[in-house]
Amino acid sequence: MKQVWHIFRKDVRHYWREGAVSILLMAAFAWNEVRRWNPADAYVFGFNRFLSTGLPIILLMLSWWLVVARVVQGESLVGDRQFWITRPYEWKKLLAAKVLFVLLFVNLPLLIADVFLLARAGFMPGAYVRGLLWMQVPILLFLLLPVAALATVTATVVQMLLALLAIALYMIGIAALSSEIPSADFSSGTEDLQGAVLIGTCLAVLMWQYHQRRTLRSRWVLGGAAVVVLFMIVVTPYRQLVAREYPQFDASRGLPLRLELRPIETPVTREDYYDGNDVEIQIPLNVSGVANESIVRVNGVMSVIESPAGPRWDTGWQSNGVTLFPGQKRTEITLNLKRKIYDRIKMLPVRIRLSLALTVFLDKDQQKFVVPRGEFVMPGVGRCAVRSEYTNLIHCRSALRQPASLLVTTDISETTCPATQFDDALAAHGTMAHDWNSNADSGPEFSSVQSFDLNPTVDDRYGDSGPSARGICRGTPLILSRPEFLQRGRIELEFNGLRLLDYRGGIGQLGPIVLRGR
Amino acid sequence: MSQAIIQTTTSQEETSAIRTENLTKKFGRVHALAGLNLNVAEGAVYALVGPNGAGKTTAIKILMNIFGPTHGRAQVLGMESTQIAGRAFTSIGYVSENQQLPEWMRVGGLLAYLRPFYPSWDRDLEKELVKQFDLPLDRKLRHLSRGMRMKAALASALAYHPKLIVLDEPFTGLDPLVRDELIEGLLDRAEESTIFISSHDLAEIESFASHVGYLEDGRLRLSEELAVLVERFREVEVTLNAPPTAPSKAPDSWLHVSASAAVVRFVESRFDRERTSGEVRNLFGEVRDITYSPMSLRSIFLAMAKAGRNAQ
Repeated sequence: MKQVWHIFRKDVRHYWREGAVSILLMAAFAWNEVRRWNPADAYVFGFNRFLSTGLPIILLMLSWWLVVARVVQGESLVGDRQFWITRPYEWKKLLAAKVLFVLLFVNLPLLIADVFLLARAGFMPGAYVRGLLWMQVPILLFLLLPVAALATVTATVVQMLLALLAIALYMIGIAALSSEIPSADFSSGTEDLQGAVLIGTCLAVLMWQYHQRRTLRSRWVLGGAAVVVLFMIVVTPYRQLVAREYPQFDASRGLPLRLELRPIETPVTREDYYDGNDVEIQIPLNVSGVANESIVRVNGVMSVIESPAGPRWDTGWQSNGVTLFPGQKRTEITLNLKRKIYDRIKMLPVRIRLSLALTVFLDKDQQKFVVPRGEFVMPGVGRCAVRSEYTNLIHCRSALRQPASLLVTTDISETTCPATQFDDALAAHGTMAHDWNSNADSGPEFSSVQSFDLNPTVDDRYGDSGPSARGICRGTPLILSRPEFLQRGRIELEFNGLRLLDYRGGIGQLGPIVLRGR
Repeated sequence: MSQAIIQTTTSQEETSAIRTENLTKKFGRVHALAGLNLNVAEGAVYALVGPNGAGKTTAIKILMNIFGPTHGRAQVLGMESTQIAGRAFTSIGYVSENQQLPEWMRVGGLLAYLRPFYPSWDRDLEKELVKQFDLPLDRKLRHLSRGMRMKAALASALAYHPKLIVLDEPFTGLDPLVRDELIEGLLDRAEESTIFISSHDLAEIESFASHVGYLEDGRLRLSEELAVLVERFREVEVTLNAPPTAPSKAPDSWLHVSASAAVVRFVESRFDRERTSGEVRNLFGEVRDITYSPMSLRSIFLAMAKAGRNAQ
């Protein structure tokens, strides 16, 4: 421990500037987070949004990476001329000293900033100690460990930046490759395994370098891991994985919902293109049979389009996100088609076979909640308040993470918000609006306070001018619930004789201009 | 019989500060070391000399476990070289001409930083070395001259009374004054340590080495006490009564045999006055005069290097 402390103190003397910059950026980040809770910040867009949200995090990460790189390369593990390799350094103690430095100059300031943010947001930090510590784990594993591993196989910060550039290019290549592989963007495939390979390799290289200083071999190991991940992306049988994850629902035991093609109301007469390789096809569907207390989410869609002229197009699995609630009558399923295929078959009657990957949730723990005045505590959510800058909604701040699953339902006819000159007549009783927050990811989170809006919307007014919602105000009754996973499955639909031109999507959006009329 | 051999080996290991067996290092297809067998006795001042690319630095880096050997083994202070790390370096002081020091540190800071690593660090000796080398404690290493940096490195490697001091080309590029200071500093420690030094500077080596090894093309051509080596090499000049009539086969120990009129010159590498004289008379018959001149270490190795090239 004496040696750990001794090396650590030397590093502090040498790298205090890098540490100080990182701490200052951490303070700036915390200050900016508090500033962002201001209602007006939610309506900042474009470059200003980047300046207020993205830039502080990017600068903070860069400062962390600089701290890690400098302190690791302080006793460089690359080369055979460093004075320290023939001195009585014990590798475990050297590594421990470096870890201590990173913990004290990266993780501790982050922890302090997170405690400050919690307190400032009205939470008791003492109640979240475990969560606060747990927040550091993804930061360490996903943001700091790979950089530390890279620093052990590079001699200078410049070398490391070049390596980071190569990694950025590799990741762009991976993303491009994934987008070209059918079904890859929907199926999680081997993502967890890929993550484990990369994290495990980084950890192994870090330990190996400190123990043995085998730089060339370590570099090969890192490169090998990148190739393994690439290989996994290419050879993963995505369709089989989706088929296994979403087995076909057994119709004899009852389907979670029924879907039928809804006739189009206005055929397309003319379309003009903007540039783009993909064409959006929107299939309107009538929905029925969603059981009370259940919610169906369409996670993915796969379609096979066949035309009598010959061309057959298989889209592979594409991500979706449509959520269907009990009582909902209509929805639309969107497909992306390659332009050149579309152009060949758009006027022909085609057969479309749709496969929908569904997740059924049980809407449980429903509780009524009437929105109080001012700032209030919403059970299991955090501290919330009504905001009325542009629309009437609830803005909440929760500790550590957003609720994993929170459904807010309201009958918009029961709104207590005053009418404005722009409002249509109030919706009929029983017109339900929903907002479902579901966050299951466990990626790195910088701030201990998550702010988000609850703004229920009516779900089935695609293409229609449905009832307008005045929003949520003090006294508006809500139903809060926490939908829980029930089952996954797949249903198949088949539609014959469709002319794709009639289902061309994108009215009023950037993309094609589609004119509908008789 | 085999037991006796083992006992002998053990006994040798016990008294050897450095011992290598068939030590081989390959970089790709290049043999940097080709079966080096070396034995450095405890208390010796052993100079490993040889031309550029002979494998001196590679040998030292293997001894210090900076590289691993391709084949063979090395023992340093009784430890396998591949196990030398951490605490083992409390007994070893290593200084190299191209070592990267923490240049941001001041001289005093470097010494203060290294002090706690060594249980045997001697503050009085540290002060003595600082004074002896005239080290500016408040100057940053990056602002020091090459000679001063070497002196700082050497001071930091001597202050803890290492059992073994390993120096890789410590005198390269230094002015004579600094060389003298370094040698003086080393000699003051010679009684308590084994010193293993690689160098091109044969004149300097000659002044203080007790043993010398000559490495060429990764092979140890010779390894012996310096006094014995100097004693067995002589420049011999033979004056004949008449020019030699026909080329005769000279003994293997004669290097660079040349004849000019009635004078034959050569380097005798196994000098013994009576034997050499007898061999001369056997070859040339009666001679008018024979002179034997002692050789400097530099002359000896030049003769050996040239002989090696001629043999190739």
